[in-house]
Amino acid sequence: MKTANEFRAGQVLSLNGQAWVVLKAEFNKSGRNAAVVKMKLKNLLTGASQEPVFKADDKLEPIILERSQVTYSYFADPLYVFMDEEYNQIEVEKENLGDTLNFMTDGMTDVCEAVFYEGKAISIELPTTIVRTVSYTEPAVRGDTSGKVMKMATLENGYELQVAAFVEIGDAIEIDTRTGEFKGRAKN
Amino acid sequence: MSLMPDPTSQRHWHLFCRVIDNFGDIGVCWRLARQLHQQHGQQVTLWVDDLSSFRALCPALDYSLAEQQQQGIVIRHWAEDFPLLSPQQTGDVVIEAFACELPQSYIAAMQQRERTACWINLEYLSAEDWVPGFHLSQSPVHGLSKTFFFPGFVQGTGGLLCEPELALLPHQMAEGAARQAFLSSFGLAPALADCALQISLFAYENPALAGLLDALQAWPQTVHLLVPAGRVSAGLDDWLGETTQAGHTYQRGRLSISLLPFMSQPQYDQLLAMCDLNLVRGEESFVRAQMLGKPMLWHIYRQEEDAHLDKLEAFLGLYCDRNNLSDRMLAEHLVGAFRHWNQAPDSALAAGAEAHEHWHGLLQQLPAWQTHAVAWQQQLQALGDLASNLVHYATDRV
Repeated sequence: MKTANEFRAGQVLSLNGQAWVVLKAEFNKSGRNAAVVKMKLKNLLTGASQEPVFKADDKLEPIILERSQVTYSYFADPLYVFMDEEYNQIEVEKENLGDTLNFMTDGMTDVCEAVFYEGKAISIELPTTIVRTVSYTEPAVRGDTSGKVMKMATLENGYELQVAAFVEIGDAIEIDTRTGEFKGRAKN
Repeated sequence: MSLMPDPTSQRHWHLFCRVIDNFGDIGVCWRLARQLHQQHGQQVTLWVDDLSSFRALCPALDYSLAEQQQQGIVIRHWAEDFPLLSPQQTGDVVIEAFACELPQSYIAAMQQRERTACWINLEYLSAEDWVPGFHLSQSPVHGLSKTFFFPGFVQGTGGLLCEPELALLPHQMAEGAARQAFLSSFGLAPALADCALQISLFAYENPALAGLLDALQAWPQTVHLLVPAGRVSAGLDDWLGETTQAGHTYQRGRLSISLLPFMSQPQYDQLLAMCDLNLVRGEESFVRAQMLGKPMLWHIYRQEEDAHLDKLEAFLGLYCDRNNLSDRMLAEHLVGAFRHWNQAPDSALAAGAEAHEHWHGLLQQLPAWQTHAVAWQQQLQALGDLASNLVHYATDRV
């Protein structure tokens, strides 16, 4: 069993005897150190979706599925096509990528994990930390290097997130894919 | 105000409360239980794990009893060896307050009910913008469905606890005789009701306290600071240089500081209603001051990783939003004051001349703040009160 806050996009859990893939998991602190998680789930058999809320420490049963390492090749609407180590093409429907879509970009070289259910790829999990380039942000604020002051930045695929005030256009930044949050400037 | 409940909507409610610390949990649950019963005619059983804390709010309670009735509510002690209940003995509506975990045996009995219970997790209060998106979401657990019910300040949330008659209290307590009687009931001099400014202080330990007290002492009018027993007392003793006692008043220049014993909820409502400014803390007193339409300064419950500061900013974002508060000078003062009171200032603002300037600037805004507090109260009232919203939601489902 895993707690609700340990699940992230791409993972699969069992709910009332059925398999559901997590498309999105939103974590919020509710009060007095308690937290809640809202998930967007898709039923792997029926395709039905639901958006339940759990206490962060609710225990849920993960379903361990077959996985293989893949890299992104190209997008052929509505399919994202990946390649495994043996050069097999693996297609995943766009709507099954959930939050992973935020960080999909042409030319990305991240080694991802494709997750299979009954022989079909049903989701993609990104590495915990990825590096992306900032295509636009307001100019850096002089003097503030603490990293506590944040501002908006846009990635090359158009996704926006909060970054530290010292980040500049063209900077490569590290992002935590579990939370979608900026971690820091990428090391060379 | 007494409303005639519709007998067809009467349900048996089981409300579960764990007392974690202080009196906020049981304070909210006890108010909710009474309102469900008295205003909506519901049968209510309140399960509480700590009856001795509860007794502070309900002095008639006998904490040696596993089951008793108070003000029409069945009170049951939620002991570790939880009694085995039949499915029929579980509630039609079951509320776990503040995310407490129901006993496993109780959940097992709920699973065997012929008619599914309406199971609700009553969540913490937050002004953050994610709350409406989570409110009324279902949680499929234990083969049942639980509803997450969030109190809140905006449309799309469950509103706040408030009895219909509460709004009348400030008018009642505006009468000199009512104020004098209130003070006398605690052994305080009735003449203190004549002080130009009445302020209540209920807070956690706060490093900004000394600066506030310095500023109140230097205020050009008479000030009466009323302090119910609580965690701020030690800081007060430090500033006064003596050990304070309930029922006594301490004079420092034009500032009179009266210590009050722990009081019942109706008494605390009266205190908030008679004061020109209320310093409140946590969730319970914070909500009461707003629903009374009084200026209030909130000391928020501290959380890990400073999560409380996000919640404070979210509240200020609503309370001082341009659409809610057009007086931008007041808004600026309020934002500054709330942040100052909550962020353990280590700057010169904590004391000295700058502290005087800060607090005096705020006090000068009190008439405009009072107008804003009433407008804010009316905005909150328009959401419907939490108990009525719960009854409406649950009645449709069981």
